[in-house]
Amino acid sequence: MTRIFRSPWALLPVVGGIVLFTFPFFSDDLFWQNMLILSMVFAIGAVGLNIITGFAGYVSLGQAAFLGVGAYTVGLGALKIGGDPFLWVPVAGVAGGLIAMLMGLVAMRTRGHSFVILTIAMLFLLQLIAINWDSLTNGTQGISLPIPTWDVAYQYWPFYYALFALLALSVLLTWQIRRTKFGMGLIAMREDEDKASTVGVNTPVYKMLGFVLSGVLLGMAGGIYAYYLAFIDPRGMFSILISVQIILCMLLGGRGTLWGPVLGAFLVEPLNELANQEGGGGNTRLLIFGGLMMLVVLFLPKGIIPTVSERLLARRQRGKAGLVGARVDGPLVVPDRTPPATSVKAGEPLLEVKGLKKHFGGVKAVDDCSFSVPQGSITALIGPNGSGKTTAFNLIGGTMRADAGEVWFDGRRIDRMPAYRRAHLGLGRTFQITRLFREMSVLENVVAPLRDFTPGQLNRRAFSGDEADKAMELLAFVGMERFRDMKAGELSYGQQKLVELAQVLMLDPKLIMLDEPAGGINPTLIERMGEMIRTLNSQGTTFLIVEHNMPFVLGLCDPVLVLAQGRCICEGTPDRVQSDPRVLDAYLGDDFTLDQPVGVS
Amino acid sequence: MTEFLQALILGLLIGGVYALLASGLTLIFGVMNVINVAHGVFIIAAAFITWSLWRATGIDPLASILITTPMMFAVGWVLYVTTVKRIAKAPPSSSVLLTFALALVIEGILGIVWGNTSHAVRTAYFDQSFDLGSIFLPKAAFYGCLVAVAVLAALYVFLNRTWTGRAIRAAAINPQGARLVGVNVAAVAAMTFAVGIAVTGAGGSIVSVLYPFLPGSHYVWISRTLGIIVLGGMGSLPGAVVGALILGVGETMTTTYIGPEWATAVPFVLIFVVLLLRPQGLMGARLREDVAL
Repeated sequence: MTRIFRSPWALLPVVGGIVLFTFPFFSDDLFWQNMLILSMVFAIGAVGLNIITGFAGYVSLGQAAFLGVGAYTVGLGALKIGGDPFLWVPVAGVAGGLIAMLMGLVAMRTRGHSFVILTIAMLFLLQLIAINWDSLTNGTQGISLPIPTWDVAYQYWPFYYALFALLALSVLLTWQIRRTKFGMGLIAMREDEDKASTVGVNTPVYKMLGFVLSGVLLGMAGGIYAYYLAFIDPRGMFSILISVQIILCMLLGGRGTLWGPVLGAFLVEPLNELANQEGGGGNTRLLIFGGLMMLVVLFLPKGIIPTVSERLLARRQRGKAGLVGARVDGPLVVPDRTPPATSVKAGEPLLEVKGLKKHFGGVKAVDDCSFSVPQGSITALIGPNGSGKTTAFNLIGGTMRADAGEVWFDGRRIDRMPAYRRAHLGLGRTFQITRLFREMSVLENVVAPLRDFTPGQLNRRAFSGDEADKAMELLAFVGMERFRDMKAGELSYGQQKLVELAQVLMLDPKLIMLDEPAGGINPTLIERMGEMIRTLNSQGTTFLIVEHNMPFVLGLCDPVLVLAQGRCICEGTPDRVQSDPRVLDAYLGDDFTLDQPVGVS
Repeated sequence: MTEFLQALILGLLIGGVYALLASGLTLIFGVMNVINVAHGVFIIAAAFITWSLWRATGIDPLASILITTPMMFAVGWVLYVTTVKRIAKAPPSSSVLLTFALALVIEGILGIVWGNTSHAVRTAYFDQSFDLGSIFLPKAAFYGCLVAVAVLAALYVFLNRTWTGRAIRAAAINPQGARLVGVNVAAVAAMTFAVGIAVTGAGGSIVSVLYPFLPGSHYVWISRTLGIIVLGGMGSLPGAVVGALILGVGETMTTTYIGPEWATAVPFVLIFVVLLLRPQGLMGARLREDVAL
């Protein structure tokens, strides 16, 4: 997006805005005014949808519901209570927001497919209520709104400029969202919602707020739309084809971009008019919308703006070598940091797991597991595949909820808390298969973690200077500062591991849980990883490490916990664990000898 | 009491038909992780084909499933190979939007071919019923349910007694595992999609006798079938049967005790309640990625 701004293309929206604003001065052609008015309605709808789909990643086929609720609020308000319909438009926004909030409440535990189904159900249910609640809505007969009172010489101007203002407001809102913590949190959720929670993003509040903003914009647009049409009925307002058109506008222009949804709306609405005028509406409209949506999903999935800007970027970068293969070496640049003080003294348990249980059907992944991690230690958690190490991590980190048992961290019981609360308390973790936000840059990934939640945070700049400095320092520490502007998804596996470590460090955690930090990376990097862990530990950070590389573990960690069949079977110094017959039997094998520890310097 | 029994029996009869209609949707979701939003429009397409066959030849709509089922199987196969295959691995947003777009296109085609007016197949028995004391069994619903149960039974045998069927079930439970033991998961997906759509052929023929329909009716049917699989647990075939019976009875009870105009609200209310209280559905015991804590 920023790239586009720096190019001459940045002028396009400005020119477009001026043309749109001044159009009624130059032309009194009502056909064009009508088309632009409808384009603006759908542009606002698409911008609203973009907040929840483009940013937060939730696909909604129910956007027409918010439009319809807004329309009925204005219609019924002006008819049954009175006042100018325009005065009811803000109320329509509130109504749209409320419905969005209700949907958000039901959707708290719903994602992906279920969420799409939910939005369809909501739209059709509201349509049915509008049809059946005869006494209020006059059923399928619909209701007529008051005739505008202004002089006919003004044509559609009041509608036109009301929508223009609302559209400008919507675009401004998206622009502001995109540059704040709120937008960054939404995008992190789109990339990986569970991961976003483990780095401290208060996902329920972020999600709900995104829904509500979307609902408010659509509700207000629906209100003006209703007054403009002067007649509303359930089948016309709560029509899934309106949802389709809104989605199509956003997809075609480019989801997740600032101007994409607006561009899409001004392309799709003329097509819609054409279908109605030339093709007799109905079936032609279905064929055009359906056909266009198929083409976009199959051949232009990113939409016009991202595709064009990628092409432009590719042309500019032609011939320049990428950074992917660059080596990570050089001396360790140690960041100056002091992790927050813990309430437990060194050597006392910082993390304590008591009788933890998690069953998947008949599989007892974690079965009455108890252990503790002393403050200031580098503790290892080892055990055979399937012994429940990663499940234990998920239960401690909050990605999964235990069936029974307790988890205590820094003197608090945390097993009922959502993952982001645990992150705020100072519990950071990485994943066995790295889970970075793939479409975000390396630097954005490191800045994304949030150490707390406050309402004020939402409107804070995504990149404050301090945070960017700190993130760069951490990237320098892991040796990845040269990759700051690359997309995280383009990095190699080992590089992703390093970035994920920097990301977790941004939380200033008291305890870092690393899931196989040495798995699948080259020996030089393993050594470096060990060095980094040791450095951080000397600064006061406690570690809990799951790892299969025995020389690495035994040279670095003390104490060592051994898990087998979901239970902690042994605990002690590396020497003791290596010679324990139960551990040899369950995991290491009786021919286990450790010639020379590696990863230790 | 009679009123209650009557509603219950009617509900179970149409529930049996719903079970057949939803089975294809849940099967496709189970194997491919794709919600086929075009499922409803295939049902309506099959109903229109049945109607034309009946008008042209007088063939009984329930007998015409022998034609509509293979026909829809072929349609499913072709669609899979030409379009659905491309988005099999894409995120849910792409597959939902693609199948939804497909539904719109087919709805438009149906409207052009048959017109946007209400159609119904009026067989000799369509308004007759068996009287069992004070309770009556509409013949159309009774025969329809019998045929639906027979097709479901055939589907069950296919899934449990044939190699292809077992491969489909294996791919649904664990695609990686199935691949490891030599199942060609891609070919199985094509088969599943085709079988899932073929079932709408039989289902659509039955629907044509029971309800009037027009191209736009597909929204009613996709809502019903989605409600059923959400309730039963997405991807679960036994869940679809249980969910269908509950929806059938729920609709007739609503018609009897609240009012027929609210019957179509039942699937939506079910979806809300299930997603709020038990997002994995009645029989969806599997831990699903789309269900958060």
